[in-house]
Amino acid sequence: MLLIHSLLRRFIDLVGSLCSLLLILMIINVFYDVLMRYMFNDVSIALQELEWHLFAAMFMFGIGYTLKEDGHVRVDLFYDNFAKKKQLLINMFGTIVFALPITAIILYFSIDYAFEAYEMGEGSPDPGGLPHRWIIRSVIPASSVFLLLCIFYVVLDNLKSLLELKTEGAES
Amino acid sequence: NADDGKKYRWKLAETWGPNFPIFGDATKNMAKMVKEMSGGRLTIRIDSSNKHKSALGIFDFVKNGQYQMGHSASYYWKGKDINTLFFTTLPFGMTTSEQYAWFYHGGGMELMKEVYDQYGVMSFPGGNTGNQMGGWFRKEINSLDDLKGLKMRIPGFAGEVLAKLGAKPTNIPSGELYTSLERNTIDALEWVGPSLDLRMGFHKIAPYYYTGWHEPATELQFMVNQKAYDELPEDLQAILTIAMKTAAYDMYTQSTHESGKNLATIQQDFPNVKIRTFPAPVMAAIKKANAELLEEFAAKDEMSNKILTSIENYRKQARQWTNFSDRAYLDSLDEK
Amino acid sequence: MNEELIGILLFGVALISLFVGYYVGFTFAGVSVLVGVAFLGLDLFSFMPYRIMAIMENTTLMAIPMFIFMGIVLQKTGLAERLLESSAKLFGGISGGVAISTIVVGALLAASTGVVGASVVAMGVISLPVMLKNNYHQPTACGVICASGTLGQIIPPSIILIILGDVMGIAVGDLFKAAVLPGFMLVTAYALYILVLGKFKPDFCPPIVVDEPKSEIIKQALKDILPPLVLIVAVLGSIFSGVATPTESSAIGAVGAVLLSIAYKSFSIKSLQAVSKETVKVTSMIFAVLIGATAFSMVFSYSGSEYLVEEFFLDLPGDKWMFIIIAMVAILILGFFIDFIEIAFLVVPILTPVAIALDIDLIWFAILISMNLQTSFLTPPFGFSLFYLKGVAPSWLKTSTIYKGVMPFILIQIAVLCLVLAFPKYLIIF
Ligand code: NA
Ligand code: NA
Repeated sequence: MLLIHSLLRRFIDLVGSLCSLLLILMIINVFYDVLMRYMFNDVSIALQELEWHLFAAMFMFGIGYTLKEDGHVRVDLFYDNFAKKKQLLINMFGTIVFALPITAIILYFSIDYAFEAYEMGEGSPDPGGLPHRWIIRSVIPASSVFLLLCIFYVVLDNLKSLLELKTEGAES
Repeated sequence: NADDGKKYRWKLAETWGPNFPIFGDATKNMAKMVKEMSGGRLTIRIDSSNKHKSALGIFDFVKNGQYQMGHSASYYWKGKDINTLFFTTLPFGMTTSEQYAWFYHGGGMELMKEVYDQYGVMSFPGGNTGNQMGGWFRKEINSLDDLKGLKMRIPGFAGEVLAKLGAKPTNIPSGELYTSLERNTIDALEWVGPSLDLRMGFHKIAPYYYTGWHEPATELQFMVNQKAYDELPEDLQAILTIAMKTAAYDMYTQSTHESGKNLATIQQDFPNVKIRTFPAPVMAAIKKANAELLEEFAAKDEMSNKILTSIENYRKQARQWTNFSDRAYLDSLDEK
Repeated sequence: MNEELIGILLFGVALISLFVGYYVGFTFAGVSVLVGVAFLGLDLFSFMPYRIMAIMENTTLMAIPMFIFMGIVLQKTGLAERLLESSAKLFGGISGGVAISTIVVGALLAASTGVVGASVVAMGVISLPVMLKNNYHQPTACGVICASGTLGQIIPPSIILIILGDVMGIAVGDLFKAAVLPGFMLVTAYALYILVLGKFKPDFCPPIVVDEPKSEIIKQALKDILPPLVLIVAVLGSIFSGVATPTESSAIGAVGAVLLSIAYKSFSIKSLQAVSKETVKVTSMIFAVLIGATAFSMVFSYSGSEYLVEEFFLDLPGDKWMFIIIAMVAILILGFFIDFIEIAFLVVPILTPVAIALDIDLIWFAILISMNLQTSFLTPPFGFSLFYLKGVAPSWLKTSTIYKGVMPFILIQIAVLCLVLAFPKYLIIF
């Protein structure tokens, strides 16, 4: 179990680094487009579309990474006063009851959604736009699978902490 | 199998926001007629874009049966199937009355059915805007050189035509259009026509309002999920079809009315707006680029070729009559 | 099940679940699934991919990560701290100097974007640490940031004004012009509040200790203020000169911030990695909330609950002032629970024809609505600014502190709203 835990952690971190790269590419992409339009009066719809492709992939995969990093916001009006054990249980419960079903549902419905674009060979309707819409549509199911992995990791991590808490309690 | 006593509750997704004038009236009008004619046996609830949040997801919604009906425009699906492009309007194409004649008597409906059948979707004319304006320009277009490097928000096929002449079609989120035009991030944009442009306020920042060439007869589209349609009793099918056809025609007259009214408002209240037509050499060049592009389409796809040939032949034949009737009549009157 | 009950159940369960303390975005999404699947069926969720794609394609939202990136660079390099402290010292060490500088920076960010999430979060990383370091009253520090971060809604360019222009059929440019004065009034009111607070409760917003001679301060200030000022001018200037669209200007800000940090020799590949990781996390936090909220509003509207809201507004009284006042109060209360875009699309189309019939100036009415909706970003429990600030604040800073901090600013917003309500004629002086 510990091995899976640490392998998963490293994989999620790797995807997280990939998201950072997408972010930087996106900033460069937008900046370059502004520069080209202003200095050389040159507009490329394909590059303009690439902007939001990078942007979307960045935050879609980033959601899972942020879950692992405990970076999502919570209302801690009461949460902060709860004992550590209760907090861990809330996280475990929330991840299984709230995060897991919506992710599974999105995955379930987005596979067809992406496949349809592939089947129809859908591309951008705008002049010079990007072809292969299925790629960006596939980000939804792919990031859902990744989020499922992250959910699994978080549950595992909470379980680990709970067990540690128990042994500590037994020792003292 | 006319009246099975069953009540059918359908839902329609439209591309437009709630209370969007004219386009949105067409769907409400259609749903009202269906309800009244069927004595309440078929009711259609309309979901605007604020509800389904996917203005351009209508095709998929109807195809997959999430909605039994949709209201949008066929050329939005150009990225999915190039042949859907030809059932809305074409640059330098037919006028509204010519195009209606083509749909109902010149084989247009049959061709549209052939394209949409493969997706399990039925497509019907959904109301016409009439001739759309060529757009709002910050600077006058005097020659082809003025088109070169012109940054213009003009989506889809028309953008492709202008791109051939060196213009730069530019994507701008609709919420940033006004700011971008005002501050010269773009030089021009096209929207619809007086009926809907006035509320956008473009007349305050771009004085040149060009007459149309790229959308002479924009026909919207009702879509119906084939399976849902087949499940209706025959009389309800007939009621639905009649209601769609009537609502489409009603929208055309309403567009004509609103355009006339708003054009008068623009001319009266905003005398700074100059209405212009592209000079003849510019028009000729755009027309040539358009023809070349359509030829490319026809060469690439068998079905495209079939549709474009039908349109071109029909246009020639109908135009003869338009020239001898409407054009001759208008020319004979000494009024401008 | 009855429509109204589904709606009430949805809000009730969400409210309780939020307070349990699980992540906001997943709580919204999770509750929507539980209630939605139970009463409306699983198939409703086949709309989720479309709704997610609509968020992915929304290029206006691209400003969010880029402004966050700019904010974090300015924070990590210490440029933000020096800017805020130096300009506070320039005020002669008066109480509340940093807060007022924060409000000014907030107003400038607001003038370059219409996306509230972007400016609240950028302000949160730029100026919250500075205020905390200078021993500010914590709720006040949070309140200043949330309030000045939401200025983006009223100071043009603004998303809500664009939506209102569309829904009410008014030219966007007219709305933008009419919004300048109310936006300016809000900024002034915030600053006045801080000045008054500094007078009566100096320990709430302590002055920066000034022990250097005046000339030294000015010299230092020039050094500290000029570079970030150049950045701000570049961002705003790029929009006003038409070099970039409002969204693109955020990229200029991001690149500019990196160039500045290079100039100040505080740039390294390592810090760039850290900044982008941080940006990814904060951005993903916001978009998880947005996706959760879209699931929530989907279940709400498909349950038919929206028709209840519609019915209420259809029954408003026919007297001009009664109509305006009840509509305003109702929108304010609705804003506690529903997203501003939902309100704009749901309620405004009902109000507009009535307003026309009652001979109410539509531009003025639109400004009132947008100021009202701006407040909805600040009102607990579902005020998005509060979530966003909480997301970037140090973890020991409590939600209750933020709730407490925004209260005076909500009152200020309502006061300014009443002022605009009382003096419609003075609105359109620009
Ligand atoms: Na158009
Ligand atoms: Na703004």
